Amino acid sequence: MKTSAIPTHPLPLTAEQAEAMEQRHIKKHHIAIMLLHWFNAMVWGLELMTGLALVSSPHFRVVPMWFLELVEGLFGPRSNLLRAHLTVGMVWIVVFLAYGLFGGKTYLTKEVLQKEIALDRDDFQWLRIRVLGILGRSKEPLPPQGIYNAGQKLFALMVYAMLPIIMLTGLIMAFHLFGTAAVGWAVLIHFVTVGVVVCGLIVHVYMGAVFPEEKPAFFSMITGTVNELFAYSHHFKWWREVKLEDEIWLHQRRSSEDAVPPARGGSDPGQNTVG
Amino acid sequence: MKRTITRRGFMGSVGVASVAGLTGMARPLKAQAHPTGWRGTRRVKKIATICEMCFWRCGVLASVADGKVLRVEGNPDHPMTQGRLCARGNAGTGLLYDRDRLKWPLMRVGKRGEGVFKRVSWDEALDFLANKLKNLKQEHGPESVAFFPHGVSASFFHTLMKAYGTPNSAEPAFAQCRGPREVGYALTFGKGLGSPEPVDLEEAKLVVLIGSHLGENVFTSQITAFAKGLARGAKLVVVDPRFSTAAEKADWWLPIRPGTDLALLLAWIHVLIAEGLYDQDYIRKYAEGFAELAAHVETFTPEWAEEITQLPAAQIRDTARAMGQAKPAVVVHPGRHVTWYGDDTQRSRAMAILTALLGSYGRKGGIFLSTSIPRGGFEVPDFPESERGRADGAGTKFPLGSKDLGITNGLVDATVSSQPYPIKAWIVYGQNVLQSIPQPERTLKAIESLDLLVVVDVMPVDQVLYADLVLPEATYLERYDAPTIAETAKEPFIAVRFPACDPMYESKPGWWIAKQLAARLGLEAFFPWASPEEHLAGITEPMELNLAELRTRGAHKFPGRPYLEDRVAAGEPLFETENGKIHLYSKKLKELGFDPLPRYTPVEDPPKGFFRLIYGRAPVHSFARTENNEMLHGLMPENEVWLAAQAAQALGLKDGEKVVLENADGTKSLPIRLKVTEGIRSDCAYVVHGFGQRSRLLTRAGGKGASDTDLMSRVKVDPLMGGTGMRVNFVRPLALANQN
Amino acid sequence: MTRYAMVTDLRKCVACQACTASCNAEWEVPAGLSRTQIRKTPIKGTFPKLVAGTLVAQCAHCDDAPCVPACPSAATSKDAKGIVQVNRDVCIGCGFCVEACPYEARFINPVIKKVDKCDFCSPRLERGQLPACVTTCPANAKFFGDLDDRNSEVFRMVFSEGASRRDTPEIAVGPNVYYLGKREQVDLVMASYPPRPPKLPVAGVLWERAAKPLVIGAVAMTFLGQAAAFFQQLRIGEKEHED
Repeated sequence: MKTSAIPTHPLPLTAEQAEAMEQRHIKKHHIAIMLLHWFNAMVWGLELMTGLALVSSPHFRVVPMWFLELVEGLFGPRSNLLRAHLTVGMVWIVVFLAYGLFGGKTYLTKEVLQKEIALDRDDFQWLRIRVLGILGRSKEPLPPQGIYNAGQKLFALMVYAMLPIIMLTGLIMAFHLFGTAAVGWAVLIHFVTVGVVVCGLIVHVYMGAVFPEEKPAFFSMITGTVNELFAYSHHFKWWREVKLEDEIWLHQRRSSEDAVPPARGGSDPGQNTVG
Repeated sequence: MKRTITRRGFMGSVGVASVAGLTGMARPLKAQAHPTGWRGTRRVKKIATICEMCFWRCGVLASVADGKVLRVEGNPDHPMTQGRLCARGNAGTGLLYDRDRLKWPLMRVGKRGEGVFKRVSWDEALDFLANKLKNLKQEHGPESVAFFPHGVSASFFHTLMKAYGTPNSAEPAFAQCRGPREVGYALTFGKGLGSPEPVDLEEAKLVVLIGSHLGENVFTSQITAFAKGLARGAKLVVVDPRFSTAAEKADWWLPIRPGTDLALLLAWIHVLIAEGLYDQDYIRKYAEGFAELAAHVETFTPEWAEEITQLPAAQIRDTARAMGQAKPAVVVHPGRHVTWYGDDTQRSRAMAILTALLGSYGRKGGIFLSTSIPRGGFEVPDFPESERGRADGAGTKFPLGSKDLGITNGLVDATVSSQPYPIKAWIVYGQNVLQSIPQPERTLKAIESLDLLVVVDVMPVDQVLYADLVLPEATYLERYDAPTIAETAKEPFIAVRFPACDPMYESKPGWWIAKQLAARLGLEAFFPWASPEEHLAGITEPMELNLAELRTRGAHKFPGRPYLEDRVAAGEPLFETENGKIHLYSKKLKELGFDPLPRYTPVEDPPKGFFRLIYGRAPVHSFARTENNEMLHGLMPENEVWLAAQAAQALGLKDGEKVVLENADGTKSLPIRLKVTEGIRSDCAYVVHGFGQRSRLLTRAGGKGASDTDLMSRVKVDPLMGGTGMRVNFVRPLALANQN
Repeated sequence: MTRYAMVTDLRKCVACQACTASCNAEWEVPAGLSRTQIRKTPIKGTFPKLVAGTLVAQCAHCDDAPCVPACPSAATSKDAKGIVQVNRDVCIGCGFCVEACPYEARFINPVIKKVDKCDFCSPRLERGQLPACVTTCPANAKFFGDLDDRNSEVFRMVFSEGASRRDTPEIAVGPNVYYLGKREQVDLVMASYPPRPPKLPVAGVLWERAAKPLVIGAVAMTFLGQAAAFFQQLRIGEKEHED
């Protein structure tokens, strides 16, 4: 094959094509990433609940009293509340450190980060159209996206920026590092950074769990795969990458030995060409 | 021939010490040694014992768990202190766990003053010392060894030194402290006052403090009585050039020109007699020499005194009248550290005379009487008589110098001059001679001339650096000491120091060290008891005590006979003079060639630009021995120098600035912070004693603040008893910036 | 009801700091810090007409203690007997209460890294003992008791003898530490050591005034935005999205 039959930009699909693609699945997430995601979700749930309940001063409290009483009812005395918050927080930090330490070479490379958080021109375009689209103000087609769409990237970017701050301020408070004034500021910064992430989380949860178009993305965090149609329509750049990789892999395979290539992602290279 | 050791032999120094500062022991809190969170589950045992953070000997309870003393607090069962305890007492564990403690016997390997030692075993140390002492005795006679003790545990060493044959023992308690008072009151009433001072502050209607700064000077039970008296409405006269804590409470504050107290006392006596305000019945019945006194003071009018003291005559008259009205319930506090101007015995005499005129001696609200308690002893040989006699001049050059307590400066002089005979060795026990004795440069000169300097102490105080041999004593919480028998308390009592824990490191109790040395010197016969228990049983034998109960409660009290009527009822003599009378006029002084009635001798004014150096105490420190205690160091890490606002302004000095004090002989102090205040006369400067220690082995206290002793290059020696008047030095503050 | 109070008789107090030392030893307060302090006023007046006094400072267990709301996590609270307690298991040592206290009675204990202050020796009270500063006081100048008990010493001192407390018309938070003494001395002490206005540290102020409304606002806006989107989604139906 001299030139690839894989399209360079999304083309309209026929109903049959779409149906066929919907049946085929592409692997999107490693099991470790999925576990990490749900572990993280759990941590956030617990830490938000205990953390919000810990802030009980009338000056700073952000949740209603009934919530405080509810959480205290769940955890017992306030000392348990703090202990739980610190324990979960420490586990969280340890897991993330382990992730950085053992998975760093795989997941924290420049290429991966570029895919995950670097926004390009298409991404900005996407963001604009997406927001307007949701509000029913735009019918423009969304620009093609990589493995993560601009919204996901933006969220990841924010999380990457906020996590170290949240963790560090948490550690400062837990171990009274750098003196009393530092702890005082840490409380404030912890609160603000968590607030920022919570805003992101609201969007993230909505887009992931409620917004119909992104439902396959939500399930991908459970199954690890998305159907090819979703990949094609929402993450075209990534779809193309996968297809190109497959093609190269297949080509090498064919030229080296005469063997039947195993199906990948439930697809067959011959079926790659659409349109 | 055998005889019984008297109380003095064992008790040695009941109540010793003073502002002059005897050092000896300091101690703090080692954070890690003081286990945290102990108040939970561990079994805590409380051991009743006696405090030694100062010399007052309050009753304390030590909380002990796993062999560690966790807390020292007041013992509610103690008859004198009833559970109350000052800051120092509360900081007792700070001494026990002081990281700087002397931990094992040390022998000097470096030069004197370098503080370089090698660690040796107790056997090596004691053999070395015993051999040295034997050789010294042979070559120079036993008198060539001088002993400088302080503290109760030194009583065993007292016995040892007497048995060894040297009469040369001297505590600063006499010549730098309360000596003039003891002599002055003994000349008047037949007996010195002793310690604790028998002042009936709680019953007094009027209290007169002359230079006494109760409150800054804290002895727990005395403060309790003082405060109780004030709350009951006692009036207070405070004579002090400085606005002290006591002055704040005073009804009359008399900021007297320093050194003129005797003129004030004479004027008061004048008013009492001239206006007939003295206790005429009392004087007629009990005193002799009134006519001579009346004639003597005739010209000493308040107006005469105003010229000298710079106090308004009206104020002098008012205060005298107040005394006359409140008599006999007037405490003219005899003071404690009273070696000020060299005329101190005569000033104490004037105070005793004033007390007598007010009818206060032996009366409720005045000075109460001591009650003797029977005590046991041991069959021991006679102490050898010294052929050459004392070297310090007590009883000879200074006819009224104490042969029990000795004259420290007399021993220093004898060492420097080799007169009347050479002194070759010093054993310094529980005091810091460079802080307690004035003219430290002279003391150092004496030390440098010695063949042997032995220091027995808990802490590496200044002279440890010069010692040939250092013996680490156990702290008061780790040792048994000879029982305290307090006869000068209103209700006399016996209290015992029982060890609360084992000695740390290789430190040893004083009794053990003395006994070990005695064995090596062939003097075992003077220590005919095998254990502290046996010793205690011997001493308390005639008291018919339940020793188990004494151990639990820490003390036992006896009924007291504090007032004259009690003595009348008991058929005891009222006054201990030869003829049973109060001696207003002292024939004895006359015979010795001194003024039989006190007379004011003019004091010199400070040279231009200089201030008279006066000094005192802080409530959180004892002498120079608690400054290294972590907790007390935290409360007061350094001293400051008080200077009148007007004087400071003229010198361009500001409050809080660091200055160096320079005395009229050019000696300079370490840097000290300046306190600019209205609360002091503009002709004097005031510092708290005990700071500016030079020993770098004291990691907290070393080099902090300024030492008043360092600036005492001059003294005025009291010709009667040899005490060193120490308020005769003049200093000027120099801005630190100009010093570099 | 019990309302504990401490009265210091300044006529008796000699400023000897036994209270401080006893407290430090009892509660293992690190050297140089203290739960109760003696402060001597500057000497006022012109020589020789002078006046000076002593303040015996400690937590005043105020009726309306500003430290209680200042604590973000409710580690500080007032108990049934009127004692302001610190729950060390909840305290993170942020220091907000230290600044909120009008009497400078709180500090961060550098060993445990949590706030430390007088609790009227609560554990001793439970054992039937008086506070350590009271039992040790050589001058017997400190009196502790229940203001709701009409027969108590402190009731008499406060309500008959007119003991003073450190408050001003502006800052009256109901301190329960009182002082008796000569009028001019008590006046000087009160004037020399007025309560300072309760305040929060800058971080706390920013938190209350800026961060809290901003975060609440941002979260609310995001939520509302998403809610709007959700309704939009419901309106146009899922079908359209599925194309």
